[in-house]
Amino acid sequence: MNDSSIAKSLPANAEALAFSYVERKGLLKLTIMNLLLNIVTLWFYRFWAKTHVRKHIWSCVHINGEPLEYTGTGMELFKGFLVVLAVFILPYAVFSGVVYVVYGPESPLHIIAYIALIFLIQVLWGFAIYKARKYQLSRTQWRGIRGTLTGSAMIYSLLYFGSQIAKSMSLGWSTPVLNTVLQEQITNDMRFGDAAFKFKGRAGPLYPTYAMCWLLTGAAIIGALVVFFSSAAASGYFQDLFNSDKNLGDEALHWLGLALVVLILFLLVAMVLIPMLWAIYTAKELRTFATYTRFDGAQFQLSATTGSVIWLTIVNLLILIFTLGQGWPYIQQRLVRFMVDRLTLDGKVDIDRIGQSTAKLEGRGEGLADAFDVGGF
Amino acid sequence: MAIEAVFFDGETARDRVVTLRKVDNDLEFVGADTPLTRWSIKGLHPIDPPTPGQPFRITHDSRPGTRLVLRDQFFIDGLIAQNKHLRGGYGWRHIWHVLGWTVTGLAGAAAVGYVVLTILPGQVAGMLPDSWRNRAGDQVVKSLVGDAKRCQSRGGNEAVTAMVAALAEGKSDLPPVSVEIYDLPVLNAFATPGGRIILTRQLLSEAESPAEVTGVLAHEIGHVAYLHPESQLVRVAGLQILISTVTGGGGTDYTANVAGLAALLRYSREAELQADAYARDIMEAGSIDPTGLKKFFEKIMKLEKFMIPDSDDNSKKSLFDKIGNIFSTHPGTEDRIKNIVPLPVDKKPVVIMTEAQWMALKNICG
Repeated sequence: MNDSSIAKSLPANAEALAFSYVERKGLLKLTIMNLLLNIVTLWFYRFWAKTHVRKHIWSCVHINGEPLEYTGTGMELFKGFLVVLAVFILPYAVFSGVVYVVYGPESPLHIIAYIALIFLIQVLWGFAIYKARKYQLSRTQWRGIRGTLTGSAMIYSLLYFGSQIAKSMSLGWSTPVLNTVLQEQITNDMRFGDAAFKFKGRAGPLYPTYAMCWLLTGAAIIGALVVFFSSAAASGYFQDLFNSDKNLGDEALHWLGLALVVLILFLLVAMVLIPMLWAIYTAKELRTFATYTRFDGAQFQLSATTGSVIWLTIVNLLILIFTLGQGWPYIQQRLVRFMVDRLTLDGKVDIDRIGQSTAKLEGRGEGLADAFDVGGF
Repeated sequence: MAIEAVFFDGETARDRVVTLRKVDNDLEFVGADTPLTRWSIKGLHPIDPPTPGQPFRITHDSRPGTRLVLRDQFFIDGLIAQNKHLRGGYGWRHIWHVLGWTVTGLAGAAAVGYVVLTILPGQVAGMLPDSWRNRAGDQVVKSLVGDAKRCQSRGGNEAVTAMVAALAEGKSDLPPVSVEIYDLPVLNAFATPGGRIILTRQLLSEAESPAEVTGVLAHEIGHVAYLHPESQLVRVAGLQILISTVTGGGGTDYTANVAGLAALLRYSREAELQADAYARDIMEAGSIDPTGLKKFFEKIMKLEKFMIPDSDDNSKKSLFDKIGNIFSTHPGTEDRIKNIVPLPVDKKPVVIMTEAQWMALKNICG
């Protein structure tokens, strides 16, 4: 069935969906209140703080004039935390404590237990992402209908873990394929009410951009090394290094200068140049994945440009730094707004036909994602 | 006054236009495909705090999955003005609620902390198998002494045996201990799990009589008898578990670093007083002059400010060097010195060891 036949099968009252971000007052007050209550409660209020911020941001996202609604509660997040505490953190802490008592404070078992913990976190990272996404979707309503993920978090987790290993083993070259597979897996599990999202597409179109970014990154690293060694050689660092007549004070100064040059170069390349290069790929991937995604036959488009991704990242980083992390609600608002302002849906959707999701609502959420500090919302 | 509103029934995404009006303390609405419905205003909940110029979305206790969207600002303002619970957002009730839970939570945490750090360690320490205590003791000794040489000589060993035997005279059920001397340039003594007692070369150098060293040894045997090292081990482990729990796993791994070991060496004041009392009792019972211990404490208090570890290379320092001398791990010493009183006049101090043994002990590290 092609797009035109889908369009023909839609009833006359099918609607095109328009996304908009309608800002509401109150985020500053919310941020300040959350900070104060977090301080008073030794950061245990964070679950409720997160919920209030989500409620605010969700309510600013309008689809055809009707806002999204976040129905999660702080207590659900807190319960999720308690479960992770009981099955994950506490057993590890008790195990460490027992090792400490039985084998002594310097036992290598501490390191083995720590490595095992890191491994477990890596294995469960995808699980945490999936469960957090599922919880957020199930607590997101539009027109009284909620979303969900219908698949298995464990399958996604294994896929995610395997993909991380494959990415590092292929020096990153399998990234476009594996990101596409992961996106396909999670998007095809996504539902709004009883209506499904569909993801279909190949990683091929991502490769030219990926290859360009990969090669430019390599060139940037090699370039930085060439600049470093040539300037070091030109300024006589190497001669000084092997010159035993030099007094120690001069040598220390030279090394200090050299260390500064290395540090600045490292900062420029690692924190500015390389992320900016990879913003080209990120923007391409966002655009491509959007066009691969359909809802009720309508196709998404996302007009994310490299410049907009860089600007989003830089400003968010500045907010994070200058508010000492307390401006996170604004960062989340900017992330949501970035997507909403650039997202369009080509085609019409038979909204009236969409029924409520029958998926069971879990009573708790995001424990692992909170413990691992998985990114996102 | 009747207004137009939109109703979502929570079953489908379809929007249903309804006519809504306020009737007494209820809202009543009806539409082409929506039956006449009456909701009490008391049971209404705002989905988001009302924002002027934007639709006001509410639901009702009786049907929480449904949504009613009001757009008539005049009607919304009137409804909210008469019913404060529809304002949503932060209110004093919410803040008091949070504070109430916080105080309750802190009180609970303090109670758990008290049990884990004060009551449990002594109980658990008594249940630890000897193999666990010995293994933990080995680890602690290894960490404390680093690469320092263990000092042994025939005469020195005989002196140690003589000191323990003299103390055992005063208390037949003295716990089994193993006294070890290490070539360390710090003034300290320490009991570890498993009944091992470590004395340093510096401690022996500074001592002027066998009674002084025997007094220190009696004090450390007191720690062993009361299982203080084992209790402290359990306490530090419990502290780590508490920190991990409170921080959600983000706490410092207190159990596997120098800070953790330093904490292990710091007994509570009660534990020190217990060990002092134990030492006083067995010394008096064994007719060992306790003023030796007193003199020794007084002397090292004066010396303490001059004690500077002689190695500048941090990597070569033992943990003892990093932790410091005896008074940095033994709090409130002045009061404790006052509690040490001479033997009763009718008791004559015994000779603990021969002069040759004493000299051998003083020079055991060469």
